[in-house]
Amino acid sequence: MSTDPATGGSTSVANRLDDAWVTIVWNDPVNLMSYVTHVFQSHFGWTRAKAERKMREVHEQGRSVVSTGGREHMEVDVEAMHGYGLWATMQRSGE
Amino acid sequence: MKAFRGRRGVAVAELDPEERAVVARIVADVGLLLGGEVFGMEDAAWASETPEDLLEYLTNLEAHLAEPDDPAILRLLPNAAPTDREVADEFRRYTEPDLRALKVARLRRLWSQLSEDGPRWEVARDDAMETAAALTDVRLVLASRLAVETDADAERLHAEVGLAQEAAADGIDPDRERIWLGMLYEALTWLQDSLVAFVMGEEGEDE
Repeated sequence: MSTDPATGGSTSVANRLDDAWVTIVWNDPVNLMSYVTHVFQSHFGWTRAKAERKMREVHEQGRSVVSTGGREHMEVDVEAMHGYGLWATMQRSGE
Repeated sequence: MKAFRGRRGVAVAELDPEERAVVARIVADVGLLLGGEVFGMEDAAWASETPEDLLEYLTNLEAHLAEPDDPAILRLLPNAAPTDREVADEFRRYTEPDLRALKVARLRRLWSQLSEDGPRWEVARDDAMETAAALTDVRLVLASRLAVETDADAERLHAEVGLAQEAAADGIDPDRERIWLGMLYEALTWLQDSLVAFVMGEEGEDE
């Protein structure tokens, strides 16, 4: 993770900014609802009920934020979603 | 073709030799698209036994896949950060080799399952999700070729495939390549759906 030498002494603000990333899964016409639910359960460790709720959010609202955290953490989640063939992106929170 | 059903903890589907040959071929094609090597040396042997007209459509698909900037590649390895070019490029640089290798290895295992003798296609519980993921990658490529980008496109394709026989009976010649690839897409969807139902059923029993 990048560290700005100029603010190296007080990293609390930088850490908060680093944590402000989100992973978004987008609706697509190919992925099956049951498959997406199971991918969410296995990767995020969610219950079936929570995984189904997030899957429905993707399907009905077109997208859902599935995780928040530091950029590197989001890269791990996005890579995993792409591995399963889901359409996932990451961005700074609030963008 | 029979969808997957659980038999003593193993998912079993049935495909006749022609169906197997077609599915194995598209699986190998997607592997090639991702930069894998040709799957197996048996290719030539079964290709000569498969009716040419059936494989003609896949040959067209292969020609299309060879084009640079293929949109199908973007379905398999999407842009991770459309709002930030720098983040997107870095993500691609660090993850793309691993993602390609993962997908090719998974397709190769699927291809091996399909290349075994006999009508039964057996998938162990522990391999079911990776098989389902490989089927997703194949379906993403077919969807790209069929211009299925929205849920409405998918519904339209489903209706077109359903109406194709009626159209032929009425003397209207449908776009045969599109209908044929659409039927393949829907068959793979049906197989994947039955495989995921098996996985979720197994887990339901554990609870």
